[in-house]
Amino acid sequence: MTAMTLGEIQRPDARRAPLGRLLRSELRMVLRRPRTLILVGLLALVPVIAGIGIWIAADASANSGNSVDEGLAGLVDGNGLLLPVFALVIGLNMLLPLTGAMLAADALAGEAASGTMRTLLLAPVSRSRLLAVKAFGVATVTLFVVALMAFTGTIAGVILLGGDGMMTMSGTTLPLGEALGRILLTVLLVTVQVWALAAVALAVSAWTEHPLIVVVVALGVVILSGVLSAIPALDWLDPVLMTTSWMGIPEVIRDPLPTGTLTEGVLRAACYIVIGYSLALSRMLSRDG
Amino acid sequence: MTGETGLGMVAADAAAIPLAARTRGLRKVYRGTVAVDHVDLDVPMGAVLGMLGPNGSGKTTTIRMLLGLVMPTAGEVELLGHRLPDGAAAALPEVGALVESPGFHSFLSGRENLLRLAAAEPHLHSGRIPAAVSESLERVGLTGAANRRYKGYSLGMKQRLGLAAALLVPRRFVILDEPTNGLDPAGTREVRSVIADLHAAGTTVLVSSHLLAEVEATCTHVAVLNQGTVVAQGELAELLDSGNAGLLITTPEITLAVDALRDNRIPARAVPDGVRADLTATTAPAVVETLVRAGVPVHEVRRDRTGLEDLFARLTEDGAAAEAAEFDLALPIPEEAR
Amino acid sequence: MDRKRTALTVAAAGTATGVVGLILLATPAGAGEQPPALPEISPEALVESVIKTEKIPAMSGAVEFTSDLGIPVPGLPQAGSGGEAAHVYTDGEGRARVSISQGGSERTIVHDGTTTWMWNSADRSVQKMVSGEHEKKTAEHKLADPATAAREFIGLMGKDSTITVDGTARVADRPVYQLVLTPKPTERTLLREVRVAVDSETRLPLRLEVLANGQAEPALRIGFTDFETGAQDASLFTYTPPAGAKVTESKPGDHKPSEAELKEKQNLFESIDGKTVGEGWDTVLVGKVPAELLTGEVKSGERGTTDPSRLLKQFGKEVSGPFGTGYVISSKVGTLLVTADGRAALGAVPQQVLVDALGAK
Repeated sequence: MTAMTLGEIQRPDARRAPLGRLLRSELRMVLRRPRTLILVGLLALVPVIAGIGIWIAADASANSGNSVDEGLAGLVDGNGLLLPVFALVIGLNMLLPLTGAMLAADALAGEAASGTMRTLLLAPVSRSRLLAVKAFGVATVTLFVVALMAFTGTIAGVILLGGDGMMTMSGTTLPLGEALGRILLTVLLVTVQVWALAAVALAVSAWTEHPLIVVVVALGVVILSGVLSAIPALDWLDPVLMTTSWMGIPEVIRDPLPTGTLTEGVLRAACYIVIGYSLALSRMLSRDG
Repeated sequence: MTGETGLGMVAADAAAIPLAARTRGLRKVYRGTVAVDHVDLDVPMGAVLGMLGPNGSGKTTTIRMLLGLVMPTAGEVELLGHRLPDGAAAALPEVGALVESPGFHSFLSGRENLLRLAAAEPHLHSGRIPAAVSESLERVGLTGAANRRYKGYSLGMKQRLGLAAALLVPRRFVILDEPTNGLDPAGTREVRSVIADLHAAGTTVLVSSHLLAEVEATCTHVAVLNQGTVVAQGELAELLDSGNAGLLITTPEITLAVDALRDNRIPARAVPDGVRADLTATTAPAVVETLVRAGVPVHEVRRDRTGLEDLFARLTEDGAAAEAAEFDLALPIPEEAR
Repeated sequence: MDRKRTALTVAAAGTATGVVGLILLATPAGAGEQPPALPEISPEALVESVIKTEKIPAMSGAVEFTSDLGIPVPGLPQAGSGGEAAHVYTDGEGRARVSISQGGSERTIVHDGTTTWMWNSADRSVQKMVSGEHEKKTAEHKLADPATAAREFIGLMGKDSTITVDGTARVADRPVYQLVLTPKPTERTLLREVRVAVDSETRLPLRLEVLANGQAEPALRIGFTDFETGAQDASLFTYTPPAGAKVTESKPGDHKPSEAELKEKQNLFESIDGKTVGEGWDTVLVGKVPAELLTGEVKSGERGTTDPSRLLKQFGKEVSGPFGTGYVISSKVGTLLVTADGRAALGAVPQQVLVDALGAK
């Protein structure tokens, strides 16, 4: 062990590490966590598996001559550019919320449990900055995962199911460029919805040291709002339920684009994001490190 | 800006000793349980302060408040001249700390973990990060295991990595909570040498420990905590002198030795292998000279090492607490694991 | 401590902002606003202006349909979950586009002036009708157009009703007159009143509400939630069937039902193909029901359809009278009587009126 010498300090007056450096370091860490990698890999496979499933089913139904199918799934056959949209809608049922919840759980509760949050606070990274870095990590990885699903979905869709342009639910055909625009729009809309859930999960994550609790609570929120929206007597609750926006996502493949519904979904998500992050920040400021 | 000036000032004006850390009336209540109360702690600049106390005496809680990790219920904390919590951003970059068990990501290697912490260090220039991390790993002897996953580290290696993180950047103040926890004797010696090096470079060090020998060997100052309050603090030498200093002489001629000392008005009594002479009114050379003149064969002379232990036992009021501290020598248990 | 106070402030402010945002999203536009001040108008003048306004200007609008009939009615569009049930566009020149979303599927009807295209996403079928006027509008199509539905209703019911103007309101963020049609005391009906919200500017009915006796909330409501006049993108009124769609062509007269429509045939209401008895509020539709529907011989394995004979037994009550035996289904706004020998009567009337109507045959 050698003695350390003074004078190695390079930025003696700096009170904060450069933000970009912190964000890069956070992303590098999150993307090296085995749990994250497994989930990312699984999600990237979802569109491919869905595509193969539809491809096989289409063959079977072509033989039986019966292809009447409700909803999105029935439109995807022979219409490969719809596969990414379909896969994201499927993913939003469970896997993507799970991903958002897990990322949020690891971000604060997990770091608190392993003691790594303490070392960061001592560096020091201020509490509000730490939350910002964590929120950035969750948000970026979410966007990455959703975009990855759309990417594998588009590739798998074009290869397995083919199709020229995108046939919309309204029975019109969009040229390739516009179709890719719709896919990108779906990516953004789905990402914002996952962000909303992740924000709520992050608030829970700031309150506990047990990542599992965060995942359970977040999925509980999803299931509960699903149940509430299924009860006709509680229809008046629908406009405030997170899942209402999720169910509106397939609207993205209607033509013309029903901007009203989609904007409302984004605004609703924004409300949840504001609530989630302010609660998380509040707890971060007061919690013991 | 370093402890060297601080040390000079200690010598120059004892009435206004610059302090690396200072707490007044510190109190922390966890869900109705008082963990720490009325803690007035002074850590002089340039000192190596050993914080002693039985398990649950509030050492870790005090350290956590000192670092702004925990908000005190009442009282104030000053760290390197900055009031916490507002001054944390200014003070903490100059403070290195190893608190409780080291916290690292198990799926990253030791080096990657340090790189991540280095990225958060305000005082480290981005271009210097890899070099600083390598030097820090070298300093704690982890270069060989740097690229292994933290998951596979032994308790000692984890502790060393924690130490490396605390020393990533040159610091003015280093706080080590149970630094030798889980280390083998060689590791313990290395920690001692690191502390000595830091001290030599003028860095203030606060070491919490329940290993009395370690404190006695490395510290200039001591603060003893018991049941959430500071029961004694000051320079180690002063505190020991206030206790009953003595000299142990191993000799076959026990009666002769006792008589010779008593004839020279040095209080002495027989102990199993020899004689214990009281040093309250005399010095060690005087005792040895007296014995040699009386023709007593002196096989070995040493300071009575029970000094700090006695002090500790007395201050913590019940012997069981001291015994518990002693017991931890063999079975290190992370303190106040919450 | 200061930081604790900051934390509480942050939590309170952020949560309040978010909750207020959610409440604003949940509040329909114009709720809680004062009714707009509009010049007084007599009921007669209002009705006349409504009936005269046959031409719908270029506009686009979202239509919502809600029903609270007390029983599920197959074939009627349900309120879309979290969205509009239909969207209507017209260019004011007779060209129109209607999109109706039903669960996961959508129908698009485009009338480009000479040809009507009807797309059904459920089976990817396109039905093409070359004709200026397509006579066979589906029930949904009619319901998707509140303006036409309400105008027809006023024309039919006007003389058997007491008509009043009940102040003003806002519908789809536009000031409207509330036209109320109450059945004359001689009418034997289950309905209490029908409210039509008439746009003060265009005189188009923007909303139709049907209230049954003893109900505070409308049993049926169809109306625009969004209504904007103005030129529409011409591309909305052209249609090219997508590759891979089944296109069937038909001329008026030899109406070939599509696969989806065949499925629809199993719906009881659509299958009653008959004539009306009486007029005004107690009009009764009398007809024959295909026998296979009653015996349940039609395979109804497909999702989304309901076996009519089972439906009858489930919701109906067995009755007997001068017509023989049969089942009667009562809802808040109407009654349906189906006899064992395949005759049926339907109307917004009590059961006895149906029995009379059948007996008159």
